Amino acid sequence: MTADTKFNPLRKGLLEFLILQIISADKVYVADMMKRLQETDFATQEGTLYPLLSKMRREEFVDYEWQESDSGPPRKYYKLTAKGKSQLAEFKDYWAYLNTTINKLGR
Amino acid sequence: MNTVIIINLNGNAFHLEEPGFQSLRAYLERAHAQLQDNPDKSEIMADLEQAIADKCGHFLRPHKNVLTAAEIDGVLKEMGPVETDGAAPAGATAGATAGATGGEQPQAGKSTAGPAPKRLYQIRQGAMLSGVCTGIAAYFNIDVTIVRILFVVLTVLTGGLWVLVYIGMMLVVPFANTGEEHAAAAGAPFNAQEVIDQAKKHYAEFKDSKEWRRHWRQQRREWRRRWHEGAYWWGHNLQRNVHQFSTGAGYGYGGHLGAALLIPFLAVFNALLFCLWIAAIVSLATTGAIFGWSMGGSIPLWASILILMFIYSAIARPLRHARRAIYFNTSGNNYLWFAAWYEILSTGVLILVCWFAYTHVPQVHDFFQHFAQNWSTMWNNLIDSFRHTAAHKPADSWLGAKISGVAAAASASAFLALRR
Repeated sequence: MTADTKFNPLRKGLLEFLILQIISADKVYVADMMKRLQETDFATQEGTLYPLLSKMRREEFVDYEWQESDSGPPRKYYKLTAKGKSQLAEFKDYWAYLNTTINKLGR
Repeated sequence: MNTVIIINLNGNAFHLEEPGFQSLRAYLERAHAQLQDNPDKSEIMADLEQAIADKCGHFLRPHKNVLTAAEIDGVLKEMGPVETDGAAPAGATAGATAGATGGEQPQAGKSTAGPAPKRLYQIRQGAMLSGVCTGIAAYFNIDVTIVRILFVVLTVLTGGLWVLVYIGMMLVVPFANTGEEHAAAAGAPFNAQEVIDQAKKHYAEFKDSKEWRRHWRQQRREWRRRWHEGAYWWGHNLQRNVHQFSTGAGYGYGGHLGAALLIPFLAVFNALLFCLWIAAIVSLATTGAIFGWSMGGSIPLWASILILMFIYSAIARPLRHARRAIYFNTSGNNYLWFAAWYEILSTGVLILVCWFAYTHVPQVHDFFQHFAQNWSTMWNNLIDSFRHTAAHKPADSWLGAKISGVAAAASASAFLALRR
Protein backbone atom coordinates (compact mmCIF):
# COMPACT_ATOMS: atom_id res chain seq x y z
CA MET A 1 0.00 0.00 0.00
CA THR A 2 2.86 2.37 0.70
CA ALA A 3 4.08 1.95 -2.87
CA ASP A 4 0.57 2.53 -4.07
CA THR A 5 0.15 5.82 -2.28
CA LYS A 6 3.58 6.83 -3.54
CA PHE A 7 2.37 6.33 -7.06
CA ASN A 8 -0.65 8.57 -6.48
CA PRO A 9 1.04 11.78 -7.68
CA LEU A 10 2.34 9.90 -10.69
CA ARG A 11 -1.12 8.68 -11.60
CA LYS A 12 -2.56 12.08 -11.02
CA GLY A 13 -0.04 13.66 -13.35
CA LEU A 14 -0.74 11.09 -16.01
CA LEU A 15 -4.51 11.42 -15.84
CA GLU A 16 -4.57 14.38 -18.20
CA PHE A 17 -2.72 12.46 -20.89
CA LEU A 18 -4.89 9.39 -20.43
CA ILE A 19 -7.93 11.53 -21.03
CA LEU A 20 -6.32 12.86 -24.18
CA GLN A 21 -5.74 9.26 -25.23
CA ILE A 22 -9.33 8.26 -24.54
CA ILE A 23 -10.72 11.21 -26.44
CA SER A 24 -8.36 10.68 -29.38
CA ALA A 25 -10.22 7.53 -30.46
CA ASP A 26 -13.69 9.02 -30.63
CA LYS A 27 -15.87 11.76 -29.20
CA VAL A 28 -16.80 10.80 -25.67
CA TYR A 29 -18.83 12.24 -22.84
CA VAL A 30 -17.80 12.25 -19.21
CA ALA A 31 -19.72 9.17 -18.09
CA ASP A 32 -17.99 7.18 -20.87
CA MET A 33 -14.58 8.42 -19.77
CA MET A 34 -15.32 7.45 -16.22
CA LYS A 35 -16.42 4.01 -17.30
CA ARG A 36 -13.24 3.45 -19.24
CA LEU A 37 -11.06 4.68 -16.43
CA GLN A 38 -12.99 2.71 -13.85
CA GLU A 39 -11.42 -0.54 -14.97
CA THR A 40 -7.90 0.87 -14.69
CA ASP A 41 -5.77 2.16 -11.88
CA PHE A 42 -6.82 5.62 -12.91
CA ALA A 43 -10.40 5.43 -11.70
CA THR A 44 -11.56 8.94 -10.95
CA GLN A 45 -14.62 10.87 -9.92
CA GLU A 46 -16.66 13.68 -11.40
CA GLY A 47 -15.43 16.03 -8.72
CA THR A 48 -11.93 15.69 -10.15
CA LEU A 49 -12.78 15.18 -13.79
CA TYR A 50 -14.94 18.22 -14.48
CA PRO A 51 -12.46 20.80 -13.20
CA LEU A 52 -9.66 19.01 -15.07
CA LEU A 53 -11.62 18.97 -18.33
CA SER A 54 -12.47 22.62 -18.00
CA LYS A 55 -8.79 23.39 -17.46
CA MET A 56 -7.84 21.37 -20.55
CA ARG A 57 -10.45 23.17 -22.55
CA ARG A 58 -9.07 26.51 -21.41
CA GLU A 59 -5.65 25.36 -22.54
CA GLU A 60 -7.27 24.41 -25.87
CA PHE A 61 -6.30 20.73 -25.85
CA VAL A 62 -9.92 19.59 -25.96
CA ASP A 63 -13.22 21.00 -27.02
CA TYR A 64 -16.75 19.81 -26.69
CA GLU A 65 -20.02 19.94 -28.52
CA TRP A 66 -23.54 19.37 -27.32
CA GLN A 67 -25.34 16.30 -28.57
CA GLU A 68 -28.86 15.21 -27.94
CA SER A 69 -29.15 11.91 -26.13
CA ASP A 70 -31.93 9.37 -26.35
CA SER A 71 -32.27 9.11 -22.60
CA GLY A 72 -32.09 12.47 -20.94
CA PRO A 73 -30.70 15.92 -21.47
CA PRO A 74 -28.13 16.82 -24.13
CA ARG A 75 -24.56 15.79 -23.30
CA LYS A 76 -21.20 17.38 -23.76
CA TYR A 77 -19.14 15.27 -26.14
CA TYR A 78 -15.44 16.00 -25.92
CA LYS A 79 -13.04 15.83 -28.83
CA LEU A 80 -9.38 16.64 -29.37
CA THR A 81 -8.24 19.85 -30.94
CA ALA A 82 -5.21 20.02 -33.22
CA LYS A 83 -3.22 21.30 -30.28
CA GLY A 84 -4.45 18.39 -28.21
CA LYS A 85 -3.43 15.91 -30.86
CA SER A 86 0.12 17.24 -31.04
CA GLN A 87 0.24 17.30 -27.23
CA LEU A 88 -0.77 13.65 -27.13
CA ALA A 89 1.85 12.72 -29.72
CA GLU A 90 4.44 14.60 -27.75
CA PHE A 91 3.43 12.78 -24.61
CA LYS A 92 3.61 9.39 -26.25
CA ASP A 93 7.08 10.10 -27.57
CA TYR A 94 8.19 11.29 -24.17
CA TRP A 95 6.67 8.25 -22.49
CA ALA A 96 8.54 5.93 -24.87
CA TYR A 97 11.70 7.86 -24.19
CA LEU A 98 11.16 7.50 -20.44
CA ASN A 99 10.62 3.78 -20.87
CA THR A 100 13.82 3.29 -22.76
CA THR A 101 15.68 5.44 -20.24
CA ILE A 102 14.40 3.39 -17.33
CA ASN A 103 15.21 0.16 -19.08
CA LYS A 104 18.68 1.37 -20.07
CA LEU A 105 19.48 2.41 -16.51
CA GLY A 106 18.49 -1.00 -15.28
CA ARG A 107 21.13 -2.75 -17.34
CA MET B 1 -40.95 10.32 8.41
CA ASN B 2 -38.81 13.10 7.09
CA THR B 3 -39.29 16.56 5.68
CA VAL B 4 -38.90 16.66 1.92
CA ILE B 5 -37.34 19.53 0.09
CA ILE B 6 -37.72 20.14 -3.61
CA ILE B 7 -34.61 21.37 -5.36
CA ASN B 8 -33.61 22.37 -8.84
CA LEU B 9 -30.44 20.71 -10.11
CA ASN B 10 -29.47 22.31 -13.39
CA GLY B 11 -33.06 22.43 -14.49
CA ASN B 12 -34.21 19.12 -12.97
CA ALA B 13 -36.55 19.04 -9.99
CA PHE B 14 -35.83 16.53 -7.25
CA HIS B 15 -37.46 15.67 -3.97
CA LEU B 16 -34.86 15.19 -1.25
CA GLU B 17 -35.12 14.25 2.38
CA GLU B 18 -34.05 17.18 4.50
CA PRO B 19 -30.74 15.70 5.79
CA GLY B 20 -29.88 14.73 2.23
CA PHE B 21 -30.58 18.28 1.16
CA GLN B 22 -28.21 19.56 3.84
CA SER B 23 -25.35 17.36 2.67
CA LEU B 24 -26.00 18.20 -0.96
CA ARG B 25 -25.99 21.88 -0.18
CA ALA B 26 -22.79 21.45 1.81
CA TYR B 27 -21.20 19.63 -1.11
CA LEU B 28 -22.17 22.26 -3.66
CA GLU B 29 -21.14 25.15 -1.45
CA ARG B 30 -17.81 23.52 -0.87
CA ALA B 31 -17.42 23.00 -4.60
CA HIS B 32 -18.31 26.64 -5.07
CA ALA B 33 -15.62 27.65 -2.61
CA GLN B 34 -13.07 25.39 -4.25
CA LEU B 35 -13.76 26.84 -7.67
CA GLN B 36 -13.70 30.38 -6.38
CA ASP B 37 -10.91 31.51 -8.70
CA ASN B 38 -11.79 29.27 -11.57
CA PRO B 39 -12.87 31.20 -14.67
CA ASP B 40 -15.18 28.34 -15.67
CA LYS B 41 -16.79 28.14 -12.27
CA SER B 42 -20.39 28.43 -13.36
CA GLU B 43 -19.92 25.94 -16.15
CA ILE B 44 -18.26 23.37 -13.90
CA MET B 45 -20.96 23.87 -11.30
CA ALA B 46 -23.59 23.26 -13.94
CA ASP B 47 -21.74 20.11 -15.05
CA LEU B 48 -21.53 18.87 -11.49
CA GLU B 49 -25.19 19.55 -10.89
CA GLN B 50 -26.08 17.72 -14.06
CA ALA B 51 -23.91 14.76 -13.08
CA ILE B 52 -25.57 14.67 -9.65
CA ALA B 53 -28.96 14.89 -11.32
CA ASP B 54 -28.09 11.97 -13.59
CA LYS B 55 -26.97 9.87 -10.66
CA CYS B 56 -30.04 10.79 -8.64
CA GLY B 57 -32.23 9.83 -11.54
CA HIS B 58 -31.10 6.22 -11.21
CA PHE B 59 -32.76 5.98 -7.81
CA LEU B 60 -36.16 7.11 -8.98
CA ARG B 61 -38.95 4.72 -9.95
CA PRO B 62 -42.58 5.35 -10.79
CA HIS B 63 -43.50 4.70 -7.16
CA LYS B 64 -40.42 6.15 -5.56
CA ASN B 65 -40.00 9.83 -6.19
CA VAL B 66 -38.10 10.92 -3.09
CA LEU B 67 -34.36 10.55 -2.63
CA THR B 68 -33.33 9.40 0.81
CA ALA B 69 -30.48 10.98 2.71
CA ALA B 70 -28.45 7.78 2.35
CA GLU B 71 -28.90 7.81 -1.41
CA ILE B 72 -27.73 11.40 -1.61
CA ASP B 73 -24.70 10.61 0.50
CA GLY B 74 -23.92 7.71 -1.82
CA VAL B 75 -24.21 9.96 -4.87
CA LEU B 76 -21.97 12.59 -3.33
CA LYS B 77 -19.37 9.98 -2.41
CA GLU B 78 -19.44 8.76 -5.97
CA MET B 79 -19.00 12.31 -7.22
CA GLY B 80 -15.93 12.75 -5.08
CA PRO B 81 -14.69 16.00 -3.66
CA VAL B 82 -14.29 18.83 -6.12
CA GLU B 83 -10.60 19.47 -6.62
CA THR B 84 -8.79 21.97 -8.69
CA ASP B 85 -5.44 20.99 -10.10
CA GLY B 86 -3.01 22.74 -7.81
CA ALA B 87 -4.60 21.64 -4.60
CA ALA B 88 -5.78 18.12 -5.20
CA PRO B 89 -4.73 15.77 -2.44
CA ALA B 90 -2.66 12.77 -3.43
CA GLY B 91 -5.58 10.45 -2.85
CA ALA B 92 -7.41 11.76 -5.89
CA THR B 93 -7.43 8.38 -7.57
CA ALA B 94 -7.66 6.38 -4.40
CA GLY B 95 -11.09 5.34 -5.55
CA ALA B 96 -9.48 2.48 -7.48
CA THR B 97 -8.00 0.91 -4.39
CA ALA B 98 -10.21 2.22 -1.64
CA GLY B 99 -13.18 0.43 -3.09
CA ALA B 100 -14.54 2.82 -5.70
CA THR B 101 -15.91 5.25 -3.15
CA GLY B 102 -13.13 7.41 -1.81
CA GLY B 103 -13.24 8.06 1.91
CA GLU B 104 -11.39 11.32 1.53
CA GLN B 105 -14.41 13.57 1.33
CA PRO B 106 -14.22 14.92 4.88
CA GLN B 107 -10.80 16.44 4.21
CA ALA B 108 -11.90 18.19 1.08
CA GLY B 109 -12.07 21.90 1.20
CA LYS B 110 -9.47 22.19 3.87
CA SER B 111 -6.68 21.62 1.40
CA THR B 112 -7.00 25.01 -0.23
CA ALA B 113 -8.88 26.88 2.45
CA GLY B 114 -5.78 26.96 4.63
CA PRO B 115 -5.93 28.68 7.99
CA ALA B 116 -9.00 30.85 8.04
CA PRO B 117 -8.44 34.59 8.43
CA LYS B 118 -8.99 35.83 11.95
CA ARG B 119 -10.00 39.38 12.59
CA LEU B 120 -11.19 41.36 15.57
CA TYR B 121 -14.81 42.37 15.33
CA GLN B 122 -17.48 43.68 17.65
CA ILE B 123 -20.23 41.13 17.97
CA ARG B 124 -23.62 42.50 18.88
CA GLN B 125 -25.18 39.17 19.74
CA GLY B 126 -24.96 38.68 23.47
CA ALA B 127 -23.33 42.07 23.93
CA MET B 128 -23.86 44.06 27.09
CA LEU B 129 -22.82 47.46 25.80
CA SER B 130 -21.38 47.47 22.34
CA GLY B 131 -19.94 44.03 21.72
CA VAL B 132 -16.24 44.72 22.28
CA CYS B 133 -15.94 42.04 24.97
CA THR B 134 -17.87 39.47 22.94
CA GLY B 135 -15.61 40.19 19.98
CA ILE B 136 -12.44 39.78 22.04
CA ALA B 137 -13.82 36.60 23.56
CA ALA B 138 -14.49 35.21 20.09
CA TYR B 139 -11.05 36.25 18.89
CA PHE B 140 -9.20 34.51 21.70
CA ASN B 141 -11.80 31.78 21.98
CA ILE B 142 -12.39 32.34 25.69
CA ASP B 143 -15.49 32.87 27.74
CA VAL B 144 -16.93 36.34 27.42
CA THR B 145 -17.48 36.54 31.18
CA ILE B 146 -13.74 36.27 31.75
CA VAL B 147 -13.16 39.14 29.34
CA ARG B 148 -15.79 41.25 31.10
CA ILE B 149 -14.33 40.56 34.52
CA LEU B 150 -10.91 41.42 33.15
CA PHE B 151 -12.25 44.71 31.79
CA VAL B 152 -13.87 45.61 35.09
CA VAL B 153 -10.69 44.73 37.01
CA LEU B 154 -8.58 46.77 34.60
CA THR B 155 -11.00 49.68 34.94
CA VAL B 156 -10.64 49.62 38.70
CA LEU B 157 -6.86 49.23 38.58
CA THR B 158 -6.42 52.09 36.14
CA GLY B 159 -8.79 54.30 38.06
CA GLY B 160 -11.32 54.37 35.24
CA LEU B 161 -8.87 55.11 32.45
CA TRP B 162 -9.53 51.72 30.92
CA VAL B 163 -12.97 52.97 30.02
CA LEU B 164 -11.26 55.19 27.45
CA VAL B 165 -9.65 52.11 25.92
CA TYR B 166 -13.06 50.49 25.76
CA ILE B 167 -14.60 53.54 24.13
CA GLY B 168 -11.71 53.68 21.68
CA MET B 169 -12.26 50.07 20.68
CA MET B 170 -15.96 50.71 20.48
CA LEU B 171 -15.31 53.40 17.90
CA VAL B 172 -12.52 51.70 15.95
CA VAL B 173 -13.29 47.97 15.85
CA PRO B 174 -15.76 47.14 13.09
CA PHE B 175 -18.98 45.23 13.67
CA ALA B 176 -19.36 41.71 12.41
CA ASN B 177 -22.44 41.79 10.22
CA THR B 178 -22.23 39.02 7.67
CA GLY B 179 -21.81 35.32 8.25
CA GLU B 180 -18.26 35.46 6.92
CA GLU B 181 -17.35 38.22 9.32
CA HIS B 182 -18.79 36.26 12.22
CA ALA B 183 -16.76 33.27 11.12
CA ALA B 184 -13.64 35.40 10.77
CA ALA B 185 -14.20 36.86 14.23
CA ALA B 186 -13.82 33.38 15.69
CA GLY B 187 -11.24 32.34 13.11
CA ALA B 188 -13.53 29.59 11.89
CA PRO B 189 -13.19 28.44 8.31
CA PHE B 190 -16.22 29.64 6.43
CA ASN B 191 -17.62 26.90 4.30
CA ALA B 192 -20.97 25.29 4.12
CA GLN B 193 -20.35 22.29 6.34
CA GLU B 194 -18.85 24.46 9.04
CA VAL B 195 -21.81 26.77 8.90
CA ILE B 196 -24.20 23.87 9.24
CA ASP B 197 -22.20 22.35 12.07
CA GLN B 198 -22.08 25.67 13.84
CA ALA B 199 -25.76 26.23 13.32
CA LYS B 200 -26.44 22.83 14.81
CA LYS B 201 -24.17 23.57 17.74
CA HIS B 202 -25.79 26.92 18.31
CA TYR B 203 -29.20 25.35 18.10
CA ALA B 204 -28.23 22.82 20.77
CA GLU B 205 -26.90 25.63 22.95
CA PHE B 206 -29.95 27.68 22.28
CA LYS B 207 -32.17 24.77 23.18
CA ASP B 208 -30.22 24.31 26.39
CA SER B 209 -30.48 27.97 27.24
CA LYS B 210 -34.16 27.91 26.39
CA GLU B 211 -34.60 24.96 28.64
CA TRP B 212 -32.74 26.76 31.35
CA ARG B 213 -34.86 29.83 30.85
CA ARG B 214 -37.97 27.74 30.94
CA HIS B 215 -36.77 26.20 34.16
CA TRP B 216 -36.12 29.62 35.60
CA ARG B 217 -39.52 30.87 34.52
CA GLN B 218 -41.18 27.91 36.14
CA GLN B 219 -39.24 28.54 39.30
CA ARG B 220 -40.27 32.17 39.31
CA ARG B 221 -43.89 31.28 38.68
CA GLU B 222 -43.76 28.86 41.57
CA TRP B 223 -42.39 31.53 43.86
CA ARG B 224 -45.00 34.00 42.77
CA ARG B 225 -47.72 31.43 43.25
CA ARG B 226 -46.52 30.71 46.74
CA TRP B 227 -46.31 34.39 47.55
CA HIS B 228 -49.78 34.98 46.19
CA GLU B 229 -51.06 31.95 48.02
CA GLY B 230 -49.53 33.13 51.28
CA ALA B 231 -50.85 36.64 50.90
CA TYR B 232 -54.13 35.34 49.65
CA TRP B 233 -54.40 32.91 52.49
CA TRP B 234 -53.87 35.69 54.97
CA GLY B 235 -56.20 38.00 53.16
CA HIS B 236 -58.69 35.25 52.60
CA ASN B 237 -58.80 34.32 56.26
CA LEU B 238 -59.37 37.93 57.12
CA GLN B 239 -61.94 38.07 54.39
CA ARG B 240 -63.73 35.06 55.82
CA ASN B 241 -63.68 36.45 59.31
CA VAL B 242 -64.94 39.76 58.07
CA HIS B 243 -67.51 37.97 56.04
CA GLN B 244 -68.67 36.01 59.05
CA PHE B 245 -68.73 39.15 61.13
CA SER B 246 -70.61 41.18 58.58
CA THR B 247 -73.11 38.43 57.88
CA GLY B 248 -73.28 37.25 61.45
CA ALA B 249 -76.62 38.88 61.82
CA GLY B 250 -77.74 37.44 58.57
CA TYR B 251 -77.97 39.24 55.28
CA GLY B 252 -79.99 42.36 55.43
CA TYR B 253 -79.92 45.30 57.73
CA GLY B 254 -77.61 43.78 60.35
CA GLY B 255 -75.11 42.76 57.78
CA HIS B 256 -75.07 46.20 56.24
CA LEU B 257 -74.66 47.75 59.61
CA GLY B 258 -71.70 45.50 60.41
CA ALA B 259 -70.06 46.37 57.13
CA ALA B 260 -70.80 50.04 57.58
CA LEU B 261 -69.10 49.92 60.96
CA LEU B 262 -66.12 47.97 59.68
CA ILE B 263 -65.46 50.25 56.75
CA PRO B 264 -64.56 53.33 58.77
CA PHE B 265 -62.25 51.23 60.85
CA LEU B 266 -60.51 49.94 57.74
CA ALA B 267 -60.42 53.39 56.20
CA VAL B 268 -58.80 54.91 59.27
CA PHE B 269 -56.35 52.10 59.58
CA ASN B 270 -55.39 52.24 55.93
CA ALA B 271 -54.94 56.00 55.95
CA LEU B 272 -52.79 55.84 59.08
CA LEU B 273 -50.73 53.06 57.57
CA PHE B 274 -50.19 55.08 54.41
CA CYS B 275 -49.15 58.16 56.39
CA LEU B 276 -46.80 56.10 58.49
CA TRP B 277 -45.27 54.57 55.42
CA ILE B 278 -44.71 57.90 53.67
CA ALA B 279 -43.28 59.35 56.88
CA ALA B 280 -40.94 56.38 57.23
CA ILE B 281 -39.66 56.81 53.68
CA VAL B 282 -39.17 60.54 54.10
CA SER B 283 -37.40 60.03 57.38
CA LEU B 284 -35.21 57.39 55.87
CA ALA B 285 -34.34 59.47 52.85
CA THR B 286 -33.52 62.63 54.80
CA THR B 287 -31.81 61.28 57.90
CA GLY B 288 -30.82 57.79 56.79
CA ALA B 289 -32.86 56.21 59.59
CA ILE B 290 -36.52 55.46 60.18
CA PHE B 291 -37.64 57.72 63.03
CA GLY B 292 -34.15 57.44 64.47
CA TRP B 293 -33.94 53.68 64.00
CA SER B 294 -31.24 52.67 61.54
CA MET B 295 -31.79 49.65 59.37
CA GLY B 296 -28.13 48.74 59.54
CA GLY B 297 -25.31 50.59 57.87
CA SER B 298 -24.63 48.28 54.98
CA ILE B 299 -28.06 48.46 53.34
CA PRO B 300 -28.08 51.23 50.75
CA LEU B 301 -30.90 53.74 50.81
CA TRP B 302 -32.63 52.52 47.67
CA ALA B 303 -32.70 48.97 49.00
CA SER B 304 -34.17 50.16 52.28
CA ILE B 305 -36.90 52.01 50.40
CA LEU B 306 -37.63 48.90 48.41
CA ILE B 307 -37.90 46.92 51.64
CA LEU B 308 -40.30 49.50 53.04
CA MET B 309 -42.43 49.30 49.91
CA PHE B 310 -42.47 45.56 50.25
CA ILE B 311 -43.52 45.65 53.90
CA TYR B 312 -46.22 48.20 53.15
CA SER B 313 -47.79 46.18 50.39
CA ALA B 314 -47.51 43.02 52.49
CA ILE B 315 -49.68 44.70 55.14
CA ALA B 316 -51.97 46.70 52.89
CA ARG B 317 -52.73 43.84 50.53
CA PRO B 318 -54.79 41.66 52.92
CA LEU B 319 -56.61 44.76 54.10
CA ARG B 320 -57.63 45.43 50.54
CA HIS B 321 -58.88 41.86 50.28
CA ALA B 322 -60.93 42.37 53.43
CA ARG B 323 -62.43 45.57 52.06
CA ARG B 324 -63.44 43.91 48.84
CA ALA B 325 -64.95 41.10 50.82
CA ILE B 326 -67.18 43.61 52.54
CA TYR B 327 -68.14 45.24 49.27
CA PHE B 328 -69.11 42.03 47.63
CA ASN B 329 -70.51 40.12 50.53
CA THR B 330 -72.89 42.68 51.84
CA SER B 331 -74.86 43.32 48.74
CA GLY B 332 -74.15 43.83 45.10
CA ASN B 333 -76.33 46.88 44.60
CA ASN B 334 -74.92 48.90 47.43
CA TYR B 335 -71.37 48.10 46.52
CA LEU B 336 -70.66 51.48 44.94
CA TRP B 337 -72.01 53.31 47.97
CA PHE B 338 -69.70 51.36 50.23
CA ALA B 339 -66.75 52.05 48.00
CA ALA B 340 -67.51 55.75 47.91
CA TRP B 341 -68.05 55.77 51.64
CA TYR B 342 -64.68 54.16 52.16
CA GLU B 343 -62.86 56.53 49.81
CA ILE B 344 -64.37 59.60 51.38
CA LEU B 345 -63.57 58.37 54.85
CA SER B 346 -59.97 57.40 54.11
CA THR B 347 -59.30 60.65 52.27
CA GLY B 348 -60.80 62.54 55.15
CA VAL B 349 -58.67 60.66 57.63
CA LEU B 350 -55.61 61.26 55.47
CA ILE B 351 -56.23 65.01 55.40
CA LEU B 352 -56.91 64.99 59.11
CA VAL B 353 -53.74 63.15 59.91
CA CYS B 354 -51.71 65.45 57.67
CA TRP B 355 -53.19 68.54 59.24
CA PHE B 356 -52.62 67.16 62.73
CA ALA B 357 -49.05 66.25 61.93
CA TYR B 358 -48.38 69.61 60.34
CA THR B 359 -49.69 71.56 63.31
CA HIS B 360 -48.60 69.34 66.19
CA VAL B 361 -45.44 67.55 65.06
CA PRO B 362 -42.58 70.04 64.68
CA GLN B 363 -40.49 67.80 62.40
CA VAL B 364 -43.29 67.53 59.89
CA HIS B 365 -43.86 71.26 60.10
CA ASP B 366 -40.20 71.93 59.44
CA PHE B 367 -40.15 69.51 56.57
CA PHE B 368 -42.94 71.26 54.74
CA GLN B 369 -41.54 74.71 55.54
CA HIS B 370 -38.39 73.86 53.58
CA PHE B 371 -39.99 71.40 51.23
CA ALA B 372 -37.95 72.18 48.09
CA GLN B 373 -34.67 71.94 49.93
CA ASN B 374 -35.66 68.76 51.71
CA TRP B 375 -36.87 67.23 48.50
CA SER B 376 -33.54 67.85 46.77
CA THR B 377 -31.69 66.43 49.81
CA MET B 378 -33.77 63.28 49.61
CA TRP B 379 -33.24 62.96 45.91
CA ASN B 380 -29.49 63.46 46.19
CA ASN B 381 -29.27 60.91 48.97
CA LEU B 382 -31.07 58.43 46.79
CA ILE B 383 -28.82 59.06 43.77
CA ASP B 384 -25.75 58.83 46.01
CA SER B 385 -26.87 55.48 47.31
CA PHE B 386 -27.13 54.17 43.75
CA ARG B 387 -23.74 55.57 42.88
CA HIS B 388 -22.25 54.12 45.98
CA THR B 389 -23.65 50.73 45.11
CA ALA B 390 -22.32 51.02 41.61
CA ALA B 391 -18.96 52.34 42.83
CA HIS B 392 -16.98 49.60 41.14
CA LYS B 393 -18.28 50.90 37.88
CA PRO B 394 -17.01 54.16 36.40
CA ALA B 395 -18.62 56.93 38.38
CA ASP B 396 -19.37 59.13 35.40
CA SER B 397 -22.36 61.25 36.15
CA TRP B 398 -24.29 60.06 33.12
CA LEU B 399 -23.70 56.48 34.04
CA GLY B 400 -24.78 57.18 37.59
CA ALA B 401 -27.91 58.83 36.30
CA LYS B 402 -28.51 55.90 34.01
CA ILE B 403 -28.07 53.36 36.78
CA SER B 404 -30.31 55.29 39.14
CA GLY B 405 -32.92 55.58 36.40
CA VAL B 406 -32.85 51.87 35.81
CA ALA B 407 -32.99 51.14 39.54
CA ALA B 408 -35.90 53.55 40.01
CA ALA B 409 -37.75 51.88 37.18
CA ALA B 410 -37.00 48.48 38.67
CA SER B 411 -38.22 49.45 42.11
CA ALA B 412 -41.32 51.08 40.67
CA SER B 413 -42.15 47.97 38.68
CA ALA B 414 -41.52 45.79 41.72
CA PHE B 415 -43.86 47.97 43.71
CA LEU B 416 -46.53 47.81 41.04
CA ALA B 417 -46.13 44.06 40.78
CA LEU B 418 -46.69 43.74 44.50
CA ARG B 419 -49.72 45.92 44.41
CA ARG B 420 -51.38 43.76 41.80
